[in-house]
Amino acid sequence: MIDPMTLATILLMAVATYLTRIGGYLLLGGRALSPRVLTVMEAAPGCVLVSVIAPHFGSGRPADLLALGLTGLASVRLPLLPTVLIGVGSAGLLRYMLG
Amino acid sequence: MDVQIAAPLPDERGGFGRGVTASLPVMIGFVPFALVLGAQASGKGFSAVEVPLLTGLNFGGGSEFAAVGLWTSPPHLLLIAGVTLLVNSRHLLMGAALAPWIAHLPRRKALPALFLMCDESWAMGLADTKRRAAAGVRTPFSLRYYLGVSAGLYATWVVFTAAGALLGPAMGDITHWGFDMAFPAVFLVLLRGMWTGARAALPWVVSLAAAVAAYLLLPGAWYVPAGALAGLAAAWLGARR
Repeated sequence: MIDPMTLATILLMAVATYLTRIGGYLLLGGRALSPRVLTVMEAAPGCVLVSVIAPHFGSGRPADLLALGLTGLASVRLPLLPTVLIGVGSAGLLRYMLG
Repeated sequence: MDVQIAAPLPDERGGFGRGVTASLPVMIGFVPFALVLGAQASGKGFSAVEVPLLTGLNFGGGSEFAAVGLWTSPPHLLLIAGVTLLVNSRHLLMGAALAPWIAHLPRRKALPALFLMCDESWAMGLADTKRRAAAGVRTPFSLRYYLGVSAGLYATWVVFTAAGALLGPAMGDITHWGFDMAFPAVFLVLLRGMWTGARAALPWVVSLAAAVAAYLLLPGAWYVPAGALAGLAAAWLGARR
């Protein structure tokens, strides 16, 4: 039920996340950070998230790129579930039509 | 550890229930994300025990989606830990902003309470603190309110990610064709939530371009650190002095 490598990864993730939660309180509380450091830290989560989905942008399949574009448009206006359904549906349909 | 000389300050009576009630709309908002994460994790081979273990010990949605997206069997332990650290680095700023308001709490209370700090509980806790400060309350941070908000959100996240893992196999067959597109869809919605303007999003574009280039040119999952570092460098260079 619990794979040892999975458990090890989960525990390491948990430690990393908890350190980010207490780190600001223990180390940065009352200390002024430079605007530059603030800008970098605010950009960091988004930078990681787009990097993780980069393979979808680099696949070079027109159907995938079109579906990504549609999903991107949907994500601007719609909540999560409709966006996911548009992403999955458009990818399935466009791959069927364009190959 | 500081010795507590003054008597502990009384916390708000009924604050816990007030927090749970206030968090109800956010709890409902958590449900679809949790179901999708659980389903995607089960698609990557997570058992219905491993999913709540992950979401209960880590309790950080963005990093959990990233980890599941990068998951291989066996997983790249250091890559996933590094990505987790980067995705959750915003907590450092959040904790720093909260620090002056919780300075009156002993560490044995503050450190466990911070385990439950997520974007939403932080924002709601801080907003409530500022409201109470404006109303002239002497200790405006209500630990019980914050714990009420956090408890509801935490329980929702763990329970519904586990439910997603149980329902996942059934959902996977229905959406077989384009199911992989669910991932970028979730991430795009997460990014929309982080959007503060085109200028702040410019590093994301740099990250994307660098990550796509690295994905095409380099083996393995190096595209993640390559893209992330390129974006951070762009943010550093583009920051207003």
